[in-house]
Amino acid sequence: MIKTHSLVRRFDGFTIISYDDYVFEDGKSYVMLGASGCGKSTFLNMLAGVLSPSEGNVEIDGVNMTALSQHQRDSFRAANVGYIFQDFRLLEDMSVQDNIDILKLEGVDVSRSGALLKELGILSKRGRRVAQLSGGEKQRVAIARALVKQPSFILADEPTGNLNYAIGRKVTEELLKAARGKTLICVTHDDRLSELFDVVIDMNELAHAEECDTNA
Amino acid sequence: MLKFALKHMFTKRARMALVALSVIISATVGLLAYNVSSQINDGIQASAVYYDIIIGPAGSSTQLAMNTMFFTDKPLGTISYDYVDELMATGLVNRAVPMTMGDSYNASRVVGTAAELLEDKALKEGRLFETDELYAAVVGSKVASQYSLEPGDTMITSHGLSSAGTQHAASPYTVVGILETTHTNYDNTVFTSYKTVWAVHGHEEEHGEHEEAEETETPAQTAQERADVMSHTARGTTAQTHAEEDEDEEGHAHEGEVCAILVKTKSPAAYSRITDAYSGNSSLLVINPATVLREVLSQVDTSTQIVYALCAVILVMNILVISVITLLNLIDSKKEITLMRTIGISMKHVGEVYLVQNALLGLVSTLVALVLSHASLALINTYTVGMGIVTDPYRIYPFEWLIALTVFVISVLPTMISIGAMARRDVIESR
Repeated sequence: MIKTHSLVRRFDGFTIISYDDYVFEDGKSYVMLGASGCGKSTFLNMLAGVLSPSEGNVEIDGVNMTALSQHQRDSFRAANVGYIFQDFRLLEDMSVQDNIDILKLEGVDVSRSGALLKELGILSKRGRRVAQLSGGEKQRVAIARALVKQPSFILADEPTGNLNYAIGRKVTEELLKAARGKTLICVTHDDRLSELFDVVIDMNELAHAEECDTNA
Repeated sequence: MLKFALKHMFTKRARMALVALSVIISATVGLLAYNVSSQINDGIQASAVYYDIIIGPAGSSTQLAMNTMFFTDKPLGTISYDYVDELMATGLVNRAVPMTMGDSYNASRVVGTAAELLEDKALKEGRLFETDELYAAVVGSKVASQYSLEPGDTMITSHGLSSAGTQHAASPYTVVGILETTHTNYDNTVFTSYKTVWAVHGHEEEHGEHEEAEETETPAQTAQERADVMSHTARGTTAQTHAEEDEDEEGHAHEGEVCAILVKTKSPAAYSRITDAYSGNSSLLVINPATVLREVLSQVDTSTQIVYALCAVILVMNILVISVITLLNLIDSKKEITLMRTIGISMKHVGEVYLVQNALLGLVSTLVALVLSHASLALINTYTVGMGIVTDPYRIYPFEWLIALTVFVISVLPTMISIGAMARRDVIESR
């Protein structure tokens, strides 16, 4: 279970984003809807531990993640969090398989990769360079990489943002299928996909972004 | 880890090749500049002056020293061989070694001398020639390797100091020995008895070659004159300089003539007496080779200091160039590092990947630079050896290892520092 408490993030001393408290239960899929700039990605980054909150904390299974060192948060993320991005975050010059095999550096067992790639319909592309793939294929590779380590939590930041609606919907369906039984938190501005998730959260109402001089 | 690091490197082969190339070029230039300047300086110093007096025809003392110590430059002319006997008769000298020059074998000098000149030199093969043994030659190691000479082989020398001169085809030499490599001009020189040089020129003249009139004057030494040496009086000489002769004929020693005499006196007192006795003769030049070489070295020292200063500038520039290039490479890689971290690769492992890559790149580039600088040295040597500058491509100075280590460290250090700094920041902020 993930709980957030009074999260606030300041940027450059001028922008403040404050968030209401959330609770994400195990095994459920959540979609967080919100307009661009409302702080969706920032929220996800704080959940993943790649960005520290300026105030408040993130608690995962009873552990205050904010109190951990960067190294401890990296280790936790490596073992428990699968992260999917709008811009895929793939090593473009390496092959599909290499992009999954990189997790071996953290001792992740990637033996499921074949089955996952097959499930996502890109098994035949495993030897291809990522740069040669289409946007939909790239996102499937990113999903396979996020799921191969069988994480407890899957975070998806606008996973369909670079895809057209039809492909985006298909990819989302595949993601939900592959992530069955895991906690999935997906942020998007496309409310047409919200029907696919267990819980819909409207961040436009719950996150508050304001611009002011926080150094003053 | 290594497999992934290599695969990752391979995907960036063009950039890696450019980084490696810049490191290699910078390090090679630095290493080469240091090695060349050091070897030239060492080479001059290595020609340790065993002989304390050199006597030759009047002229330039530097020319006489360079001519007899390094076998470079043209001989000043000739003096009578009788001086050798005269010097030995004084009882003040341990050794008086005549030296004649003027012929060549391809691009290598032929030095006619006494076997004593080579007594302290190690032989790779064969033996030394006897002073009375005609047409026997001992060749330097480079001459032997360059022309595939072995003991028993014959060689035909040419008149003059270039291979374009008339060949002494009727008077071939037989190789009797090959010197060990000394990395001095001995390596590029052919040694024979001075009597052989006399015989070759006597033979050629008998057969009508070199018909031009030689102004050879035989010293009319008298017993009284020889005694003058002992009584510290200046004496006359019939030494004839050939400065105005045809260039090819300059310094050619015919029977009874030598170009110079290397003298090792028995004591400081003997040194003074011999010097005093001969320096009063205006036709002769009497030098202390150590003094002349010191003067040469002081001039070379200035040049060396300039070269060292240039080396230092080059090395500092290399350090800057390599640091900037590796840092730029790392900045380019920051996006990827952030990517790896966001998907859960710990900074420790990300750091290891980049460290392995940069260490490999630095190590290979440094080793290639070392090999290249010495290969360049070998190439340079083929050109400079004819000018009397012999360098050893296999010689590695301890300072070169230090340069190589510095290059390696600065290939890796910026990465370490930068990754260390990134590890302390949030993944998103470290972009």
